[in-house]
Amino acid sequence: MASRIDEVFSKKKKLKIMTHVVAGYPDLETSQNLILAMAEAGADMIEVQIPFSDPLADGPTIMAANHKALQNGLTPKLCLKMIEEIRDEVKIPLLFMTYANLAYTMGLERFVSESAACGVSGLIIPDLPFDERGYDDYYFWLKECNLVGIQVLSAGLSLPRLKKLLKIAEGFIYITLRVGVTGAREGMEKKSADFIDQVKAYAGLPLAAGFGISSVEQIRSLISRVDLAVIGSHLINLFNSGGKENVQEFIKEANQVIEQLS
Amino acid sequence: MKQKRKQRSEAVEESRYFGDYGGRYVPEMLVPALEELSGAYFHYRESQEFQKELENLRKNYAGRPTPLYFAENLTRLGRGCKIYLKLESLCQTGAHKINNALGQALLARKMGKSCLVAETGAGQHGLATAAVAARFGLRSRIFMGEVDIKRQYPNVFFMKTMGAEIVPVRDGTKTLKDAVNAALKYWIEHLKDTHYLLGSAVGPFPYPLMVRDFQSVIGQEVKAQIKIYENRLPDVLVACVGGGSNSIGLFYPFLKDKNVRLYGVEAGGRGPGRGENARRLGKNPRKGIVQGYKSYFILDHEGQVQPTHSISAGLDYAGLGPELADLHDAGRICFDQVTDTEALSAFKTLCQAEGIIPALESAHAVAYALKIARKFSRRQIMVVNISGRGDKDLFIAAKELDNEGWMRFLKEEVNHGQPD
Repeated sequence: MASRIDEVFSKKKKLKIMTHVVAGYPDLETSQNLILAMAEAGADMIEVQIPFSDPLADGPTIMAANHKALQNGLTPKLCLKMIEEIRDEVKIPLLFMTYANLAYTMGLERFVSESAACGVSGLIIPDLPFDERGYDDYYFWLKECNLVGIQVLSAGLSLPRLKKLLKIAEGFIYITLRVGVTGAREGMEKKSADFIDQVKAYAGLPLAAGFGISSVEQIRSLISRVDLAVIGSHLINLFNSGGKENVQEFIKEANQVIEQLS
Repeated sequence: MKQKRKQRSEAVEESRYFGDYGGRYVPEMLVPALEELSGAYFHYRESQEFQKELENLRKNYAGRPTPLYFAENLTRLGRGCKIYLKLESLCQTGAHKINNALGQALLARKMGKSCLVAETGAGQHGLATAAVAARFGLRSRIFMGEVDIKRQYPNVFFMKTMGAEIVPVRDGTKTLKDAVNAALKYWIEHLKDTHYLLGSAVGPFPYPLMVRDFQSVIGQEVKAQIKIYENRLPDVLVACVGGGSNSIGLFYPFLKDKNVRLYGVEAGGRGPGRGENARRLGKNPRKGIVQGYKSYFILDHEGQVQPTHSISAGLDYAGLGPELADLHDAGRICFDQVTDTEALSAFKTLCQAEGIIPALESAHAVAYALKIARKFSRRQIMVVNISGRGDKDLFIAAKELDNEGWMRFLKEEVNHGQPD
C-alpha cells in the first residue's frame, strides 16, 4: 500500500510544500484552524509540532511558540485530539514533529500507536538518532503502525553514517539548508547545496529541504533541486504579523511560482 | 594497528552509556562535532605529552594539589566521625570548575579551535572558562541565564574583565538549563572554530565521561592525601550535586572501594513544592531524555522540564549527570537533600568554626555532613568536598545574614558613586 506521503510525491507539481504548525500556538483552536487554512491554500503536507519545554533544534521563533503553547496548557494528549478532530477534513498528509522526551515519557509504543490512530502519516523526532538506545523500539513500532519515520540530515555527516541513514530512511529525506537551528534567513549555504547533491547521488527517496526558507526566491531556487520545501519559522512570523490570511497568501504565491516553472 | 584502533573505537561506543543512562541524543547535525570531540579526547587521553602539559597547568596555574584539611572544630560540632575538608575552594578562580576548564581548553587548542563557548549557572564555570580562554589566547562567549546574572554579578564582572563576552539568556526559566540550550545552539552554528566547554558531567557523550575524567583529580588527591594522614581509606564522602561534576570527581576514584560510603546532596530549596527545589531523586523520580542525555530530570508527567529553585545557582539545574543516575540505581551513592535555610546556616557555621567561606553549593554538603556525622564513630573518617569558595555569594549571604549592615553599605556605595 502506497502511503499518503508517496502519493504526494507522485503529483506532477515540481516542488511540493510542507508547512509547519506549532500545536497550541497561539492557542489550540487557532492552530487547528491554521492547519485547515494551510491545506486550503495549497500546502502539500503539514508538519505539526508537539511543543516541548526545551526544543533543542529550534531557533527563537519556534522556541517562543513552543513556550507560549505550553503556557496555554497544551499537552501531547490535547494535540493528538486536535488532529483527530480534523483528520477527515484535511486531505493531505500530516506529520508529527517533536522531541524524544515527550515520546519517551508517553512510552514509545503508545506514542507511535496513538499518533497513528489520530491519523498522521509519519513522525519526525530529531533528537532520537538511529544508533541510540530506544531507536530500534521506535522503528519497530513505526513499522507495526504503518507510520513513516523521517530522518533529518545536515551537511557535515560522514559518508559511512550517511549511507547507514539512507538505508533506514523512508518517505523522504529531510535536509537542513544550514547547520544550525530553525529560523528564517536569507540565501543558502554552499555547503548545504553541495550536501544536497551528495545525498541525491545515493538516495532513492524524494528530498526535502528546510531551515531558513523565508522568501519565494528561495523556494524558486529549490525547484528541480529538491522535491519538497519545508517552511516553518517564516510562516509563524507571517502569522504573527498578519494572521492566517498572510500565511495563505505566501503559500499561494509560492505555488504560483512553482506552477509557472512546472 | 588497525585491530587496535578498531578495539578502541568499540570501547568508545561501549562507554557512551552508564548502565541505562547517558547516550548521545542529539539532532544529526551535532553528531559530527561530537564524534570529532570524542575522537580527539580518546586520542589525547592516552597521550603522555598531553597529560604532562595538563599536570603542569594543574600544579602551577590552578594551584593543585588542593589541601585536604582536618577540620577539628567542625569535627567537634559534628559529634561523630573525623571530618576532613577537601579545599577545592583554594583553586584558581575559586572552585573545582577550573579542573575541567583547563583540560577541555587544552583539548580545544589541540583541535585547532579558536573560540570557547560555555554555559554557567553560579558563574564559577563561566569564570573558569574565561580564565583559561585568557590564558590560552582564545575568545570566550559565556551564556548565562538572566536570573543568574542578577544573583551572581561579582562573577559576571570578573568574566568580563578577563575578556569574555557575556550573553544573557532570556528563554524559559532564565537559569542554567536554558543557558545550556543557548550555548548548544550557538555551538551548532559555529562548529568549525568553536569548542563547547560544557561545565558539568551532563550532556551528550563524550561530555559526562570527559568531565568526570578531568574532575577525578579531586578524588585521586584525596586518596593519596588521606593515606599520608591516616594511612587508610576514608569511610564516608560527601559532596553537593547539581549536574554532578564535583561529586563524580570526588567519588569516581573510590567507586571500587566498596566500604567507602558515598553521599550526594541535592538542593532541597524552599521545600517540596513544584518549582521550589532542584531534587531529581526525590519522591517519584522521573527519567527522561533532555539536552542530549538520558537520566533523571525534574519533569511533569508529560515530560516537560519543570522550573527549579535553589539558593545556590550552581545546584539549580533540572538534570542529574548520567553516571550518577546509574550509581543511584545500583545503590552505590545515597542521595539526600538540604534546604536553602540549612545551607545558609552551614555557611555561617563553617565561617565561624574554621574561618573557611564555602560557596553556597558546598554549604549544602557541609550541612549534610553535620547532620550525619553522629551516625559514625570517632574513629571513622569523613571527607567533605568544599567545591568552591563563597566570595561570589556575598550578595546573597550578606542580605540573609547581615541585612542591616549590608544595606547600609550598598546605599553608601551607591551614593558615593553618584554624588548629587
